[in-house]
Amino acid sequence: MVDLKELQDKAKEVISRDDVRRLIGWQRGTYGFESAPIVVTDASDADKLIFDPTCVQNPASFITLEEKRPVPRGQEPDTRKVAVMVKGCDSRAIVQQLVEKAYPRENVIVMGMPCRGVIDRRKAAALFGDVTPDEVKLDGDKVVVSLNSETKELARGDILADKCMRCRYPNPLVSDELMTEEVEKWGADEFADVDEFEKMSPADKWKFWEEQFSKCIRCYSCRNVCPMCYCVECVVAKLKPQWTRRSTDISENAAYHVQRAWHLSGRCIECMECQRVCPVDIPIMTLNRKMTRDVKEMFDYEPGVDVEAEPLLACYNPQDPEDYIM
Amino acid sequence: MEENLNYKPKIGVYVCHCGINIGSVVDVPAVVEFASKLPGVAVSREYTYMCSDPGQNLIKEDIKNENLNRVIVASCSPRMHEPTFRKTLKEAGLNPYFLEMANIREQVSWVHPDRDEATAKASKLIEAAVAKALLLEALEEKEVDVIPSCLVIGAGIAGIQASLDIADAGFKVYLVEKTPSVGGHMAQLDKTFPTLDCSACILTPKMVDVANHPNIELMTYSQLEEISGYVGNFKAKIRKKARYVDFHKCTGCGVCAENCRLAGRVPNEFDELIGMRGAIYLPFPQAVPAKYTIDPKRCLQLSKGKCGKEGPACVAVCGPGAVNFEQEDEMVEIEIGTVIVASGYDVFPMEKKPEYGWKENENVLTGLEFERLVSASGPTGGKPILGRDKKGEGGYEPKKVAFIHCVGSRDKSVGNEYCSRVCCMYLAKQAHLIRDKLPDAEINVFYMDVRAFGKGFEEFYDRVRREGVRYVRGNPSEIYKKSGEEGDHTMVIKVEDTLTSTPLEYEADLVVLGVGLEPRKDIREIIDLFKLSQSTDGFFLEAHPKLRPVDTASDGVFLAGCCQGPKDIPDTVAQAKGAASSALILMAYGKVKVEAQVSVVSPDECRGCGFCVEVCPFGAIELVDENRMGNIVKVAFVNEALCKGCGSCAAACLSGAIQPRSFKDEQILPQIAVLGVRP
Amino acid sequence: MSEEFEPNIVAFLCNWCSYAGADLAGTSRTQYLPNIKIIRVMCSGRVNPLFLLNALQQGADGVLISGCHPGDCHYLEGNFYARRRFMLMHKLLEHVGVDPGRVNMSWVSASEGVKFKDVIEEVVTSVKEAGPMDQFRRRQLNW
Repeated sequence: MVDLKELQDKAKEVISRDDVRRLIGWQRGTYGFESAPIVVTDASDADKLIFDPTCVQNPASFITLEEKRPVPRGQEPDTRKVAVMVKGCDSRAIVQQLVEKAYPRENVIVMGMPCRGVIDRRKAAALFGDVTPDEVKLDGDKVVVSLNSETKELARGDILADKCMRCRYPNPLVSDELMTEEVEKWGADEFADVDEFEKMSPADKWKFWEEQFSKCIRCYSCRNVCPMCYCVECVVAKLKPQWTRRSTDISENAAYHVQRAWHLSGRCIECMECQRVCPVDIPIMTLNRKMTRDVKEMFDYEPGVDVEAEPLLACYNPQDPEDYIM
Repeated sequence: MEENLNYKPKIGVYVCHCGINIGSVVDVPAVVEFASKLPGVAVSREYTYMCSDPGQNLIKEDIKNENLNRVIVASCSPRMHEPTFRKTLKEAGLNPYFLEMANIREQVSWVHPDRDEATAKASKLIEAAVAKALLLEALEEKEVDVIPSCLVIGAGIAGIQASLDIADAGFKVYLVEKTPSVGGHMAQLDKTFPTLDCSACILTPKMVDVANHPNIELMTYSQLEEISGYVGNFKAKIRKKARYVDFHKCTGCGVCAENCRLAGRVPNEFDELIGMRGAIYLPFPQAVPAKYTIDPKRCLQLSKGKCGKEGPACVAVCGPGAVNFEQEDEMVEIEIGTVIVASGYDVFPMEKKPEYGWKENENVLTGLEFERLVSASGPTGGKPILGRDKKGEGGYEPKKVAFIHCVGSRDKSVGNEYCSRVCCMYLAKQAHLIRDKLPDAEINVFYMDVRAFGKGFEEFYDRVRREGVRYVRGNPSEIYKKSGEEGDHTMVIKVEDTLTSTPLEYEADLVVLGVGLEPRKDIREIIDLFKLSQSTDGFFLEAHPKLRPVDTASDGVFLAGCCQGPKDIPDTVAQAKGAASSALILMAYGKVKVEAQVSVVSPDECRGCGFCVEVCPFGAIELVDENRMGNIVKVAFVNEALCKGCGSCAAACLSGAIQPRSFKDEQILPQIAVLGVRP
Repeated sequence: MSEEFEPNIVAFLCNWCSYAGADLAGTSRTQYLPNIKIIRVMCSGRVNPLFLLNALQQGADGVLISGCHPGDCHYLEGNFYARRRFMLMHKLLEHVGVDPGRVNMSWVSASEGVKFKDVIEEVVTSVKEAGPMDQFRRRQLNW
């Protein structure tokens, strides 16, 4: 269990350092079962930091999201570090960003938050409706929700995100300092969901996706929230050449989603942020999960676990499978 | 010339009849009519042979008179005539990269006989070419300097000849040979067919020449380990293996070899293992350089750490004190502009054909073993004596000799479908040598066909037959010992005479197998170094089987001799001279055009992930600092001299920031848009 | 779909092996089906997997990528990268319900004109079986 006072004091200490520009973590959310991300630039704001099962956002996304402002003539660019609090899953994003040379390791201070699971807002809403809880905490194998001075105990699987139930990396894989004790690993990933989906015929698969993709309004939230999507200019926004047109019809929507999944193959670290933020509830991870499983099966590769690894699609093995090649 | 500006495209489309090759299937006038209506097309014409002078002039005139700024030629494969038409554009003052070709011969008229289908497809291909042409860019053809030196790999007759030619032209040659001496397989031969020149007599002067030529740096007992760079500017690392004999002190007197404790006890590779040497050795008396080498695997001092009670005899007897067991391999780095690969061949390994009883029977010899047997410098001093004891005494002269054609050649069961080209004639020559040395011997030659195709070959074959050599048409199925008795050397050859369809049995006390030529067992090493391709027979693949027989797909790397395919000595020498001349063209001109269709980075879009750096097979891309409005970021940068324009980087790039010129995403997508539409 | 469905297939061939193999098929007058439309690229490693997606979106019923045999790439290793990419893209498209028969890959060397013909026949057959690609074909009204 994290001691909030200790966490906030530590954050104050970090943000007060001369070589630290900002600290990214979580604060209490304004609505529902989710916290809100916070960018702390002043020590006085550090008291707002929290860590509980509502801290679902991946702060690693913000490291690369930051736009580099033009530096006025005669001034030096701000090269101070960014401190970031990460859960186990979030830390894989940092590992993968480092593999892709997104920034030098020394530019970030990673504050590791061993984690035992976060809330899936859709599951919570199904259980409790449109409410904002007073407190959510993990107690052993139970999730304890306090709502209107009542407490309710739930089995973890009923309310925690699916990714947490199969989590293999509850402790950050990269960190400068752990904020709490490491927690014991419990999950295993058998990709049963992928196997199940694959039982469908191509026609049924398409029927499923046709329905899902048709809902897409192309808000690009999934792309924006993704810690791995940080190209200067995303290819879907390009006009020369134009890969996808702007229409939100099934053709362009399908092309967009396949393109997104393709660009994340061998890179997706399964933080599930894309699916979480989707306003029209498209099961985006069903695509990503397939790629994750195939990448592991065909190339024995798992992104975001080894800083020294080569990027999957920038290396090869002469013995790679080629079963469908004539 | 205003190029690369976004001015209005004026495209000329030229549809070639190629005589009747295209015109007889494709409705050319209809295609021309179709093309004339495509966006941006100003001129659409047909002609019988676009590649002819009048055809090219047609384009040139239009470029001048109609101010064309893009040209589409719909004719044969761009692999055939793209250079031709690029030149046409250039001569008319248009950037040569404003050309796009539609392949309506190889991909249409020659493969689709239906007139309607062919015409429709030809029109589609032209439409796609027009769509791409609208987005073509002018490219600059750059030149880089060629380092005036050549690396020659392998010092057989091919490597020797190529080296001498280049050195005589005044350019530096590094001649690298794996074994301790130059000479290669030719040095092992006794006589050459059909002239019966003594092989050593005609080769030795050339061997001496390469060693003494001021422009040739000879590196024997050396091996190429690394090569990098590109045409005109290669860097090579060569391992000079330790001879354990000081190269400069050794006088080649040979006292060491005589006194070696293993003298006469180590099978000599040069004698195809039928002769013996010591652990310190000169492979053959005429070896060049005449410097001794210690075989580290056999030498007692080097392999066991101890040689006799008194220590190594070679050290004790060597006057100049040349033996040095502390010697280590030396790495030499050189820079060269061109490379000639003349790595040679291996003879067919008889292990793959056990039914002929080779190795089990000392009187079954391969053709090359026979050469050593009858060579004056061979283990028997040129006398065809078999079955000598270890001291080299005793033995017998064969009375019945059999020669077998096509062993390991033209034989799918061993995986070699090709003809080795030399065996028919070397067997005829060897039959002649036996007749010469043993006038009373019975000589039978078993053949499938006799291919006496070269100059003087048929005459020689005729002469050999007239000398009482019997040619039996049939491929022996089995060769075995007649009896197990001591002193009976007779072998039985089971064969069906295919002219009379009679199964026959012949006897012989010497069987010579006309083994074919195979790619070297270590050919992979060179393939990996230079990334050369192999043809289906396993030999190196030339750039074009007819028109570029000495070139490879790697610019500046040429082939000579049997590494490219079996051939006899005159053909090898001719090819070596061809390879030398190809290398000389580059070095004499001193400059070479580098690929213009290289990759280009849009630094503003690059996110510096380095995927392109990792996938580039030529190390042409690096990440460099880029000042993005005051912030220093890393972006990709392409070294254009190293880039070959393969475009792997573009497929790896997520943001599309790196693109190969002439094959950019924005140039390919319009092609897809045209060709994707179902007719 | 009835028998007369003639699929339209876009093929990406590398310049050095497969395109040369197609040329050889031409030179040897090896007839094959006209359903295939070839786009020449320098290396199979150049083919961005999104080209396939784009071709299917633009109306192609099937795609083919063909390069040099593993180990024979003119650019040393481009086809190894291509193989990885297209193994994955193939699986991804299959996952969204694209018939796996639409996405094809082959190794055809410069000397394999006959193999090229065989590949085309196989591809046309498998795309015919898959039927017209209407799942996410782009309508011209899109902008």
